Amino acid sequence: MRVAFILGEIGGGLRRNVSMVVSVILVTFVSLTFVGTAGMLQMQINQMKGYWYDKVQVAVFLCVDTSTSPTCASGPATDEQKKNIETLLDSAAVKPYVTSWAYESQADALKHFKEQFANSPIVDSVTADQLPASFRVNMVNPEKYQIINETFSATPGVETVIDQRQLLEKLFSVMNIASLVAVGIAGLMIICAILLIATTIRLSAFSRRRETGIMRLVGASKAVIQLPFVLEGVIAAVIGAVLASGTVWAVAKFFIQDYLANQYKDTAFISANQVLILTPGLLVLGILLAGISSLLTLRKYLKV
Amino acid sequence: MIRFDNVTKIYDQKTRPALDSISLEIDRGEFAFLVGASGSGKSTFLRLVLKEDHATRGVVYVAGQNVAKISSWRVPKLRRGIGVVFQDFRLLPNKTVFANVAFAMQVIGKSRGIIRETVPEVLKTVGLEGKENRLPHELSGGEQQRVAIARAVVNKPGILLADEPTGNLDPTTSLGIMKVLDKINRNGTTVVMATHDDDIVNEMRKRVIELRNGVVLRDEAKALYTSMIPVIPAADFGSGLSAEANK
Ligand SMILES: Nc1ncnc2c1ncn2[C@@H]1O[C@H](COP(=O)(O)OP(=O)(O)OP(=O)(O)O)[C@@H](O)[C@H]1O
Ligand SMILES: [Mg+2]
Repeated sequence: MRVAFILGEIGGGLRRNVSMVVSVILVTFVSLTFVGTAGMLQMQINQMKGYWYDKVQVAVFLCVDTSTSPTCASGPATDEQKKNIETLLDSAAVKPYVTSWAYESQADALKHFKEQFANSPIVDSVTADQLPASFRVNMVNPEKYQIINETFSATPGVETVIDQRQLLEKLFSVMNIASLVAVGIAGLMIICAILLIATTIRLSAFSRRRETGIMRLVGASKAVIQLPFVLEGVIAAVIGAVLASGTVWAVAKFFIQDYLANQYKDTAFISANQVLILTPGLLVLGILLAGISSLLTLRKYLKV
Repeated sequence: MIRFDNVTKIYDQKTRPALDSISLEIDRGEFAFLVGASGSGKSTFLRLVLKEDHATRGVVYVAGQNVAKISSWRVPKLRRGIGVVFQDFRLLPNKTVFANVAFAMQVIGKSRGIIRETVPEVLKTVGLEGKENRLPHELSGGEQQRVAIARAVVNKPGILLADEPTGNLDPTTSLGIMKVLDKINRNGTTVVMATHDDDIVNEMRKRVIELRNGVVLRDEAKALYTSMIPVIPAADFGSGLSAEANK
């Protein structure tokens, strides 16, 4: 009976303040979409880290005709210089940090380049002697890149040492900043949502003060008096959270999975279904948001 | 049933207390009028019984319990034992007579079956049979007050507090309301009624507690609205106040 009564009260309340309820739904929807986007970016970063970190290498590029660095003063790297580098890679100072290394000749480099830019007209104008040969070094611990750098950057015949991980780190830091921005916007929107929910409940409590006054007098419990108001906010917030989850899923599905993943085939992207694990989090966040702000409001406006 | 032990209520430090060291006891099944000029503290007395407010000093006992010791989550239980009626009825305008009375049972979780059984009974007690489906605006003031009384007693409280229940009604209608309250009292409910209505008090011949400026001026059994023994406090000589109190 009491359950039916509370449900009836909630229904009445939702009908009475349709416009306020819609605005609560929208503001929680938008704020939780930003939260979900931040979560999705973090998932994407982790995905890429997992995919790339055991693949990234330190590349030791050798001198070509056009190289200008002082270590290339003698022109393109000679076979002797290459031998020297190979010896160094197998020396006691370097070997413990290296799991394996491979030589990529200029012809190999051209082949990889052609694979990577298969659809681009630039491929036809590139020749093997424009691309440097390199040693590709896999590290035991990719963070120890500095050792390779120190050993080889001053070695004759080496133009430059490049840590692919640092290139990725740059990308990740851009993505991190983007997700921080999303979290920041989400934070502002959440403040809006809390204030809006508080206002909605205040209005709702005011428009029903006759009923609640009588309920108090005849000894209705705090739960029966307050629950309809709390649940009104919670229901609106849950609808917002469901919409937000749907939007985040749609972005993952149609933008990331169907579009980006097709465009950049050699990069690991998250799948739409992976993003669904964010849904419970968004729902809980929505419920907490509405629950906490309504309890705080009710304590002030609906004393028992 | 209700006991005040040296109760003082101060709303505002700068003004005199609304109630000043009141001590009195109202027994189970009693009918007591609370009379006195406007601002004498009648409504404050009733609010303290309901724990709508707390006493500044002293102890209020309701059904043997010190209300100050009742924790906030058990206050609803206290209020289920007390029915309240006001001068302005406080009905829900968009609910029928039946629904207004049933509301008091729904919100404390009574089953549909019990509600269907009890509400018509109570409406009969207050003389409203046949008017179950009317809306409040389709009723006279007296009938609206009967609905309010039905709602106050439908959960069978041990105490009924009435704050000027006849304040908006004409003398004949008021008498009808008093008959209902008397009937409820004779069924065993303790009734405390604050009123300005001298005719009614004189007619009923019940206990009269007269307040003035927050103190008990008179507390007599089977009394009249004005004292049979003139009470003229020394301080009031020449101030004209005693004349007003003895109206
Ligand atoms: N909530 C309040 N805040 C401050 N002062 C109050 C409050 N309620 C009552 N008072 C003061 O307490 C005193 C007693 O008020 P109370 O309402 O008890 O009088 P009353 O006897 O019921 O009067 P009336 O016959 O007009 O209803 C008055 O002086 C009033 O101004
Ligand atoms: Mg009053």
